[in-house]
Amino acid sequence: MEPADLLARMSKMFRADIGPAIADEYPRTQAYLSSVVLQKLSLQLRNAEAHAAAETSERAALVSDLEHLLAVAPVPASVSDAVASLAASGDAGLCALIEVLYAAREELDQARFETLLGRVRADLRRSIDRRMEVAA
Amino acid sequence: MSDLVPAAEVPARIAAYIQARIPGADDMTLTDLQQIAVGWSHETWLFDAEWMEGGKKRSAGFCLRRDPGNALLRDLSDLGEQFRVLKCLEGTDLLTPRAWWYEAGPEVLGAPFLVMEKVGGECPNPWGREGRRFYAEAADRGILPASFTDALSTLHNIDWQAAGLDFLGVPEAGTNQFAMNEIAKWKKLIALSGHGPEPVLTDLICWLEANAPVTERLTLVHGAYRTGNMLIADDRISAVLDWELQVIGDPMYDVAYVLSDLNRENSDLLSNLVPRDMFYRRYEDATGIRIDEDACRYYQLLYAMRSAAFWMSASGLYRDGASNDIRLARTEWSIPVVLQRAARDLGY
Repeated sequence: MEPADLLARMSKMFRADIGPAIADEYPRTQAYLSSVVLQKLSLQLRNAEAHAAAETSERAALVSDLEHLLAVAPVPASVSDAVASLAASGDAGLCALIEVLYAAREELDQARFETLLGRVRADLRRSIDRRMEVAA
Repeated sequence: MSDLVPAAEVPARIAAYIQARIPGADDMTLTDLQQIAVGWSHETWLFDAEWMEGGKKRSAGFCLRRDPGNALLRDLSDLGEQFRVLKCLEGTDLLTPRAWWYEAGPEVLGAPFLVMEKVGGECPNPWGREGRRFYAEAADRGILPASFTDALSTLHNIDWQAAGLDFLGVPEAGTNQFAMNEIAKWKKLIALSGHGPEPVLTDLICWLEANAPVTERLTLVHGAYRTGNMLIADDRISAVLDWELQVIGDPMYDVAYVLSDLNRENSDLLSNLVPRDMFYRRYEDATGIRIDEDACRYYQLLYAMRSAAFWMSASGLYRDGASNDIRLARTEWSIPVVLQRAARDLGY
């Protein structure tokens, strides 16, 4: 049995069999919430491979697009450094880039700041939408 | 958590404690004891006490709150501060429970606790079916919506300096210090949660810091003014509760919370209760404060940050073994919900 299927069956068991059999409110709530958590874990596991692949390809495209945008005109070293380390630094690197962009927004001028942040935000939106496939 | 006096031993301990604090009291007994909140914040017990005093039988209702040491707000929530706020509010027009005693040490119940008056009234859960029906019916009668609005007006009209509430810390008027202080507070909770990086949240925080509004007028701010955080008796607010997030700051912080769609589900009524036009008219008339829609939009984004901090803290407590309440684990999936909403409100 696939792990995601096992978790889904356990979720159903907590919801249909265990929860209704518990009289006390607090443990009954714990049973129903366990069902919800197991269902979310099952869905997360089922989507994990596809989501990871999407994240990887989108991150590569983001780095490439940002490098092209930076090449148009000089930018503060902090921005180019943050973009250079983005590919290998995961979400921590993306957070660092966002912080650097805000810190450098006056040097970048408003239009360029918005262009760069806008490109980052397009990825953020896709990523959060994927997480909502599980969370919603 | 392990040093807490078990819930089963609390009644005997608290009976002895209260008896020792009422001069001449004897034969203290507790009845109708119920524990009404577990896991998210402070533990809460309601009970009635009966005792003999000077040959006469006396009775009173009490509410006890204990800090279990694993509350959602971690060390940002302080029962001692709650006690002090309630004492300050006793001299004002705002209806709040009278605070009786506060114990900071672990000697009695293994953790800090406060004892306050049990105020008459009910507190329907606005997220449940019965609660939503309760507030919808109250909205039709029109009395409770006015009372809800008037209590907030009263809260914002309090002379907080005269009440001694400046111990909460006073941001400088005419600056953005209030908003920056709030951001710093929730950043601290996020750091304490140990949660991994969240780029949308980083974007939100950077935006909030870059756009923090100037606060011209300072009032007492409740910080979580909504149905579910107040008692209702005879169709009116009988007490404003949940004094965990109060600050001296911008009154629009509370107004934004009332206006927020976070606090109503499929209802046009604010907090599932109050018609928007009525709230605007009545609040502005009673306070002389004009509702600033731009500031409210800003504070709604600040609430998104705060909600993300709450859920990170909650899921972190479960992850770290500080709590075994699975409801806290469930909040891990509330984080993207809040962040997707924030992304939408930031325009993407």
